[in-house]
Amino acid sequence: MSFTEQNISLWGEDIPWLSGLRQKGRQAFTHCGWPTAKNEAWKYTAFSPEKLHNPQIIHENRHCSADCHCRHNHSPFPFKVYTVEFCNGQLHDENFADDLPQGITIKSLAEAIYDGEAQKYLGKSFAMENFPFAALNTAYIEQGVMILVEKNHQLDAPLYVHYHVHDEADCFCNIRNLIILESNASATIIEHYEADKNAAYFTNAVNEIFLNNSANLQHYTWQNEALEAHHVALNSVQLRTDSSYNSFILQNECATSRHESFINLQQRGAAAEVNGVYRLQNNGVSDITTNIRHLAESTYSNQLVKGVVNGQAKGVFQGQIHIAPDAINTEGHQLHRALLLSNSAEIDCKPELEIFADDVQCSHGATCGDLDPEQMFYMQTRGIDENTARQLLITAHLQEVIEKIPQQNIKDWFLQLI
Amino acid sequence: MLTPILEVKNLSARAGDKEIIKNFSLTINEGEIHALMGPNGAGKSTLAHVLAGKPNYEITSGSIKFLGRDLQQMKPEERATAGLFLSMQYPVAIPGVSTANFLKHAVNAKRKYNQQKELDAAEFLKLLRTESAALNIPAEMLKREINVGFSGGEKKRLEILQMRLLQPALAILDEADSGLDIDALRIVAEGINRLHNEHNALLIITHHLDLLNQITPDFVHIYYNGHIVRTGDKKLAEELEENGYKNFVENE
Repeated sequence: MSFTEQNISLWGEDIPWLSGLRQKGRQAFTHCGWPTAKNEAWKYTAFSPEKLHNPQIIHENRHCSADCHCRHNHSPFPFKVYTVEFCNGQLHDENFADDLPQGITIKSLAEAIYDGEAQKYLGKSFAMENFPFAALNTAYIEQGVMILVEKNHQLDAPLYVHYHVHDEADCFCNIRNLIILESNASATIIEHYEADKNAAYFTNAVNEIFLNNSANLQHYTWQNEALEAHHVALNSVQLRTDSSYNSFILQNECATSRHESFINLQQRGAAAEVNGVYRLQNNGVSDITTNIRHLAESTYSNQLVKGVVNGQAKGVFQGQIHIAPDAINTEGHQLHRALLLSNSAEIDCKPELEIFADDVQCSHGATCGDLDPEQMFYMQTRGIDENTARQLLITAHLQEVIEKIPQQNIKDWFLQLI
Repeated sequence: MLTPILEVKNLSARAGDKEIIKNFSLTINEGEIHALMGPNGAGKSTLAHVLAGKPNYEITSGSIKFLGRDLQQMKPEERATAGLFLSMQYPVAIPGVSTANFLKHAVNAKRKYNQQKELDAAEFLKLLRTESAALNIPAEMLKREINVGFSGGEKKRLEILQMRLLQPALAILDEADSGLDIDALRIVAEGINRLHNEHNALLIITHHLDLLNQITPDFVHIYYNGHIVRTGDKKLAEELEENGYKNFVENE
């Protein structure tokens, strides 16, 4: 039985537009198929279904037990957060939202669909033909949350979205979230993926993010899936006038990890900062792919991605900056720097700039190399042993990206993780 | 009775095919100050790097003993913790590593080697404050990334600070005076003089008499073509200042 032929009964089949959308997702996925190395966008991260061990969506009857730690609403942070919990790909909707400030709504995607609020956003931020996994995600739309910050409102503490896999079974965590910030609204979201057992599950997450005029979203992700897990995530972001999107991902090693940002700077003054760090030391594949589309004048984007790859692992960075003919006076910058610490490790980097407008400032750069022997020697002549010197240099390399995080408490939290 | 700190005997070394140290011998005893002078390109910095254990050099013959141990068997960090310090002519910038953090690692590596308790943040800061004040190094500089954007003078003062913190048995100072103005030179010289005592030794590589007027050497060596061609006292340095190297290198 192939992955898409699983006879899964999903709720909401009685809602025509939803069934139609799922159907379109199924068709688009069938049409694209599993991406292979022949698919340009997936050239370095060929991802085949054999690797997936036939994962299944886990429904309520196999839900986590009463003593599962995800029910205790704990947080790893030394500061206040609001929490949303997913366990084995299923949303726990008991606790969230009860102490949220005025103007903030967090509800399950199901509720948002039945309330009629989700329809104008769901599937509206990207074309499924271009994103095979997001098409697959659409075919199985079921689990997720809708986060809405109303006009002129601020979420006063970060929203912590915790995805936890604790079941040994091969589960398929198909998550679809909608994040909507109305005009002049702001929020901080920290997503955290983790597992307490080394299961070979599959996470396929899609966030559709809509930022209205002057809205501001700080979006952090800590991908700390199990070593055997496969993880694919898409952040599809639409930005209107003077809105800003600031993202950072810390990508730890799992079997295959692809973190993709598809960002549309649709109106004047929209700005995006897309930064990331990846660390690999075994034989996993970590892919950070960005596609930033400057569609209007005076838009801005900046990307800084740094990686460290050891063992037989592979790091991939693909960064596309597209500047439309009318997008004058725009700025788009991109830099990828990787440390390649073993002869059998691999780094693939593909910067792509498509510039159709004059009067733009664009830059891109990529470096890849070992630790600097002069720096190593200098440290050693001060008595710092080789191992410590290497660690100091690796941390220094990655730290530069984390230093860009504007919120001090979150910056400090990520710094202690590296 | 003289106690040797460094004993180099008939040392030859090469980088690739090029022989750069040729039959070099030098013994430095406790309490001594040696100055090594020589024309540009004579290989003085290479000699310093070989002693500090830089990779890429192959020792083809001879022996080096440091405090009685075979230096060739020691990694650069072991040489450092055992008491050999190299103040570099061109200190390396390390973006992303704060000066204070770097120095704390260095000091604690040495303490660990000496089986002393490692200093915690507060203890280290206290030590750092005292030593940096003596060298006119502001606290702000210690928060910056090490040697990143430092002026020539700042880099040299930082090298001396590291030497003071590590209290080496032998300090090799490779052009510690280059690029310094008169005041900075005096501060650096004082820092070196305060370190020196009857139990340690200095090897000062310099082009200038100015530094040697403030730190009086017991021996002055002229280094040329990979080895010492003449040894004298401070008068030899004065003679060099007067007449240059031509009298010493022409016969080589």
